Amino acid sequence: MNSASILKFFISFYIVLFFAYLFGPLIVMSITAFNSAGFPRLSPWDCFSTEWFGVLVNDARMMAGFKNSLIIGISVVLVSVPIGLAGALLLAQLSNRVRQVYYTLTISTILVPGVVLGISTLIFWDRMGMMFDVDYESFFYDGIFLTIIGQSTFISAYTMLVFMSRLQRFDPVLEEAAMDLGATNVQTFRKILLPFLKPAIGSAAVLAFLASFENYNTTVFTIVSESTLTTVLASKVRYGINPSISALAVIIITLTLCGAFVHEILKRREQAKELALKKEEKTVSVKSASRGLLSNPVPMMVLLIFVAGLTTAWMARGYDVQQCKIEVSEEKRKHQAELSKIRRVEMEKKLEAQKTDTASPSTVTTKKAAPGTNQYGNIFAPTNLEGQVESEETNPVTKKNTENQYQNIFAPTNLEGQIKSENE
Amino acid sequence: MILWFKKFFLRNGIVLSLYMLLMTFTWIVVMFVLPQVFMFDFSFRFNWTQIDPSKIGGPEDVYTLQHYKFLLFGSPNNPDPFNVVDVTVFGRTILAAVFVTLFDVILCYPVAYYLAQVAKGGITRLMMLSLIIPFWINELLRAFAFRILFGEEGTINNVLLYLGILDQPIDYVRENIALYAGLGYAYILLMIFPIYNAVESLDRNQIEAARDLGSPWWRIHWRVVIPFAKPGITSGCTMVFMLSAGALALPQIIGGPSSLWFTQIIYQWFNTGSNWPRGSAYAMSLLVICVIFVLLIMKVFKVKFGEIGR
Amino acid sequence: MSADVTLENIWIRFDDFTAVKNADITIKGGEFFSFLGPSGCGKTTLLRAISGFQELSEGKVYIGGKDMAGIGPNKRPTALIFQNLALFPLMTVWENITFSLEVKGVGKAKRLKRADELLELVALPGQADKMVNELSGGQRQRVAVARALAAEPEVLLLDEPLSALDLKLRQHLRTELREIQKRAGITFIYITHDQGEALTMSDRIAVMREGTIEQVGNGNMIYDHPETAFVASFVGENNAFHGTVSKISAGKTIVKTDAGELEATLTEGSRLSTGDKAIVFARPESMSFVNRKNSVKNVFKAKVVYQEFEGHFWHLILSGPNDKKLKMSVINSGSSHDYDEGTELQVNVNSKLAVALPSGPLAAE
Repeated sequence: MNSASILKFFISFYIVLFFAYLFGPLIVMSITAFNSAGFPRLSPWDCFSTEWFGVLVNDARMMAGFKNSLIIGISVVLVSVPIGLAGALLLAQLSNRVRQVYYTLTISTILVPGVVLGISTLIFWDRMGMMFDVDYESFFYDGIFLTIIGQSTFISAYTMLVFMSRLQRFDPVLEEAAMDLGATNVQTFRKILLPFLKPAIGSAAVLAFLASFENYNTTVFTIVSESTLTTVLASKVRYGINPSISALAVIIITLTLCGAFVHEILKRREQAKELALKKEEKTVSVKSASRGLLSNPVPMMVLLIFVAGLTTAWMARGYDVQQCKIEVSEEKRKHQAELSKIRRVEMEKKLEAQKTDTASPSTVTTKKAAPGTNQYGNIFAPTNLEGQVESEETNPVTKKNTENQYQNIFAPTNLEGQIKSENE
Repeated sequence: MILWFKKFFLRNGIVLSLYMLLMTFTWIVVMFVLPQVFMFDFSFRFNWTQIDPSKIGGPEDVYTLQHYKFLLFGSPNNPDPFNVVDVTVFGRTILAAVFVTLFDVILCYPVAYYLAQVAKGGITRLMMLSLIIPFWINELLRAFAFRILFGEEGTINNVLLYLGILDQPIDYVRENIALYAGLGYAYILLMIFPIYNAVESLDRNQIEAARDLGSPWWRIHWRVVIPFAKPGITSGCTMVFMLSAGALALPQIIGGPSSLWFTQIIYQWFNTGSNWPRGSAYAMSLLVICVIFVLLIMKVFKVKFGEIGR
Repeated sequence: MSADVTLENIWIRFDDFTAVKNADITIKGGEFFSFLGPSGCGKTTLLRAISGFQELSEGKVYIGGKDMAGIGPNKRPTALIFQNLALFPLMTVWENITFSLEVKGVGKAKRLKRADELLELVALPGQADKMVNELSGGQRQRVAVARALAAEPEVLLLDEPLSALDLKLRQHLRTELREIQKRAGITFIYITHDQGEALTMSDRIAVMREGTIEQVGNGNMIYDHPETAFVASFVGENNAFHGTVSKISAGKTIVKTDAGELEATLTEGSRLSTGDKAIVFARPESMSFVNRKNSVKNVFKAKVVYQEFEGHFWHLILSGPNDKKLKMSVINSGSSHDYDEGTELQVNVNSKLAVALPSGPLAAE
């Protein structure tokens, strides 16, 4: 083996590792959605179950957040696509020096931390509301409105970049030709430029929606008293987790893959069309298109996942989740009993406590294992984690209140006292 | 200026001119610049909303430096010479962001190079899509996935224990390994694409010529590819640095208890702390320091701002 | 309907250079008028000024006697055929052709009918539903013409529309364009750097150099009676003999050159006087071989370097006095024959066909 092939081997190995890093977390998370255990985990595997999807759908907060996310996402698309288009069109007409400044400003909206954007939007509308003396019911204080505005600030820059790259391929002579043939500016825009930009409008809209849908940093400030899917998720994930979030992830990953699939097909079709027009050899392009669909890796991937899903569903036929759970919990009970037997020998004194612990797990508790009641759930239970935080926290305020729970550190009462002491 | 507007209106007609100008004005001025200005102004005000709302706009509503002082020196009865917690958190956030940025450059450069110069046709397409797909999935879900992986009873510990590599589970969250891995993961795409774009425009012949002259592979990269890709690398670094320093979701979810992120402090001033002006002062400080840092880096590497963006 | 186009003292300046200098010319209604010049001479800028895309720094454009100042390109009675044709790629052929009607709000049935008529006119029947990319270069050319004509312009402006086509097609389309112009009966203003196109199609030609119109006239005038050294060297091939005027008489002059004293005609209104630097231009076909030694006037010695045969002509490359490269064309008649390389011959310049012009810049080779 010479050095070149060793190098090649290392590169391939590296690429494989890289993609494992990229997909590993997502795959593991997806699998945990089907484990009946109350804590999202791969091992120990309890039972195959789809109950967490049910839990997810019945979660009213999550659903309300989801609805808000949809409303916000669509509104952000409606705001940021026209703005991005205007921004890109204007950029093309600026003189070189002005363009530099303008471009810097627009790109800054992406580079400025989302947290800062959220805060500044919140403050700006709050102050404006005060200036115009509007009441709290008005949109100046409406979380949904503020979130749409705050998110659009930087998402417009995304859409602008999409339009910019499409406009680079536009031949401005076409506009002149249309004008020369008697079209007004608006007609030229509508009949020549817009049709050309149509694909870009589509991708900009998708990009804007996705960016809005997954945004957290800005939203968490601007949403005020409302909630979106991400803010609900965040509070859920922070204070105890259960596999219904994995179930949500499975749904989103599936949707994403389908989206990628559709996008890929559309793109292929468009390319095939362009190729056909260019080469005027329809037969060749049709052949390559049909062949391309099979050789195309993405549809293949989706197909594989689909087949895998079907097989599991088929295998799961006649499989009784309840039965499995009873068996598992029985096993656990036995295991616990054995453990406690050993311990009984070792430590007579702690026997009583152990007994109450092992006696409790029944089919009911495993099924409705809320975090904290399950033995594994304790690890991430809020009290547990907060205890750690508390002990490590060195904030002067905390020092004074070491007996307090972490949540109380920044509690209004606490801080108010502090503020008063400062202001006096 | 007036001449420019005249020409602009003549060229585009009234409807389109107004559309372009009003839209961009609303965006840049009303949605972006003015809020920053208001936040800047707000960071110098007393927290009257909480103390006594009737004083807003009154004679006592004057400017103050107290919030910036608090960031630097803490409350008046703070025994330390400066605000140990907040300043340390600030410094650590910046350092950690630098660390994440470096991690991403090292991680992504080979992949970007591979995509741009080595991989062909279908493979490139597949890899590109594979890169993009994870980033269409909610940031919080990605954070959640890392929590599953890196929990004390998480997949990684379980696997390592099973294989006998470990005999004690490691608390990755406490050690911040989970956070760095998650942050690094979150911004891979922002690092790969600028580098990819830069490397792709490099003429393959240059690499071949260097190889012909007997350069070893590492020297080709050091002397030919990296200098060429410098704008892309800097662009990627800028974005990753700014976004990691400004990250909030990941530190909240997989951050170790010992490493508060600066954005978390800002968040606390706004939510549980109910001190918006102080939160603004903190946010302003973060923004200013980050911008200065980025400008410095650009100056050092001689890259212009216009080269940033995809 | 056709309209006069009058350009009145037009100047067009950009930041760092002047593209058009004092263009002052009237193009008559129904005329096929060409602007001929090398690239960068300002001819396209002038065309854009007529169509309304280019603002004037000074001067006025009148179309049909009406001042066009402040009238946008979409309101002018002109139609422009762009160099790259600028057909709309996302529209079918008929949609392209009737775009000017569509923006006026003409109904679809009417537009389809008009498209068919125009396709007939440009000899492209039955192609209405094709996409533009499905057409060949020549077909696209015709679609562009049809699209421009559909707007019923009084003036059609053409910006080197044939330059992207191959020679055969170009020659074919020349005659076709000329015929379409005759049928449509409107003013054509044609921009080209190809003198062959200008000479074959145009009623009149304006030769431009660096923003200035050097000469206006019909093809014959421009070729036979160039008024400047640039026109003489740019239009057709010419041998230039640099020298000084030694004698002037009625309509004639003698210029002292490397090739001896050459007698040549003067252009009308020539301002050459004795002692001026001048160039004598002799067309390849205005030179001939002489055998007799007694003919001393306008004769010099030259060696054959090589020769090309082009059917109706022999083209000879000669090396004249001071190794000056000369080109000479001899009609292929019974008496002509080929010469060996290096043969020394006596060359005569026809003094009636040779032109003496004041010294000035020549066209780049």
